[in-house]
Amino acid sequence: MFDEKDMILEAKHITRKFPAAGGRTLVACNDINLKMYKGKTLGLVGESGCGKSTFMRFLVALDTPTEGEIIYKGRDITKLKGEELRQNRQNIQMVFQDPSGSFNPKMKIRDIICEPLLNFKRIKKSEVDKVAREYLEMVDLPGDFADRYPHNMSGGQRQRIAIARAIALEPEIIVMDEATCALDVSVQKTIIELIVNLQKKKNITIGFIAHDLGLIQSFAHQIAVMYLGNIVEILPAEDIDKHAMHPYTKALLGAVFDLNMDFSKKIESIDSEAPSPLDAPAGCPFCDRCDRCMPICKEKRASLITVEEGHEVACHLYTKEA
Amino acid sequence: MALLELKHTDISYGKRLIVKDCNLTMNQGEIVSIVGESGSGKTTVIRAVLGLLPGGGKVTNGDILFEGETLLNKSKDEWRKLRGTDISMIFQDSGAMMNPTRKVGDAFVEYILTHEKISRKDAWDKGVEMLERMRLPDGNNIMRSYPFQLSGGMRQRVGIAMGMTYQPKLLLADEPTSALDVTTQAQIIRQFMELRDEYGTSIIIVTHNLGVAAYMADYLIVMKNGVIEDQGDRDHMLHQSDNAYTKKLLDAVPSLGGTRYV
Repeated sequence: MFDEKDMILEAKHITRKFPAAGGRTLVACNDINLKMYKGKTLGLVGESGCGKSTFMRFLVALDTPTEGEIIYKGRDITKLKGEELRQNRQNIQMVFQDPSGSFNPKMKIRDIICEPLLNFKRIKKSEVDKVAREYLEMVDLPGDFADRYPHNMSGGQRQRIAIARAIALEPEIIVMDEATCALDVSVQKTIIELIVNLQKKKNITIGFIAHDLGLIQSFAHQIAVMYLGNIVEILPAEDIDKHAMHPYTKALLGAVFDLNMDFSKKIESIDSEAPSPLDAPAGCPFCDRCDRCMPICKEKRASLITVEEGHEVACHLYTKEA
Repeated sequence: MALLELKHTDISYGKRLIVKDCNLTMNQGEIVSIVGESGSGKTTVIRAVLGLLPGGGKVTNGDILFEGETLLNKSKDEWRKLRGTDISMIFQDSGAMMNPTRKVGDAFVEYILTHEKISRKDAWDKGVEMLERMRLPDGNNIMRSYPFQLSGGMRQRVGIAMGMTYQPKLLLADEPTSALDVTTQAQIIRQFMELRDEYGTSIIIVTHNLGVAAYMADYLIVMKNGVIEDQGDRDHMLHQSDNAYTKKLLDAVPSLGGTRYV
């Protein structure tokens, strides 16, 4: 499904450690290996605190990993500095969860959308109004919104502005951190449709963070499931409910409430909650909550093995030695 | 006799009419889900039932009946007897409703002592028992913790334990799972269903998650701009409703094996 020559970004052995109280270390990302492909969406799914946002922040250089490298256009972007780093920001842009918090409340929409273009001298000041209107129309908003302030708009409209700002520089990759979870479901649907249309038109690669598998499988191409800083499964998004193998992915699927489900069915969900990443178990990170935990799971962490094309899983149930 | 009845209820904040002509009848053991977008008035409705409308909010027309008695001209003392015993409420973040400077146990004991004349020791034990019944392991430990020391799911369980102490006939839940992770959400929903099965508690749940609403509900209410846009049995609403807005909402819910955009 994914051609190696379409691969535009590769994260290799990314580890991020934060110092914690009492001289302990919190491992937010542990040896993450991911690939992103041209024009495809990578969904990163997991519960709060599993390190999914931490990882995506490396792509936009808001943070740097402790170890590992991210190869983009043949270079390690985690080591970029100064002007090179600034120039590279044109290629990878980000949309945040709360659009009202990511705009300057004193700037008009026109200036918000065009600020990146002015910064990189792509347009002249005299063109701002015309260009802002173009981008507003691209995200299905009336051009007159250029004169508004962010607080005069609804959440869905603000999220469209955030998307307009992100695509203004024609980036190759856009990272979206729970970009729709603050929105109502009907608005969420229109935003997803917009994202998918823009992706098709401009062949953008998207990294989408979500905690809702039901949502992410509706528009992603591949999904990576994270748990306590580890990738436990990478699989194609299509028919995810039939292909999921890792017990944690299955647990996440079991926790999805959708309208086609059998309502008389008892809820099958794991009890207990994810432990703090500070007290992650020694073996498989999921072993404390897994109903198919074996002795080996408590001792040794399973590494990702390929079960079929584009499908990797880290679980001792599927390793041959076990 | 119906447990709860709203008859042509209008609710206003100051002079602005927020909820118009709301009608609802529910019986013991029923679960009603109210869904709608932000600002559609769904929280206002259940707050009105508990007499907890924020400043300036008032029921301006119609009536709200609980077991046949109107709730609209209850005195403070009457409300105090009713709230927490016959009708309880669970908020979006139960941690935020607790005093952050006091331990869970202090708040729980005080709550029990307001409603019952027993010793502090008995009240403590009762609290521990309720926590453990809500699947919180080691209730004593929880009672000795501050709210911020507990995870979101645990706090929500504490809220449910408090709300269920006197086995209320009616439980109002305002977005009880929106702040939680999906696996925790599933656990809390399961707990709500068990409450109904074990105690026959009637539940009104306000949520914007249509999947959750549909799973729990016997009866679904769709609100839009302060008006009940559509209502009916779950099966009717999911499959046979002719209402365009209901259809639009249902259509927008992503589902496994459903529409894929790519």
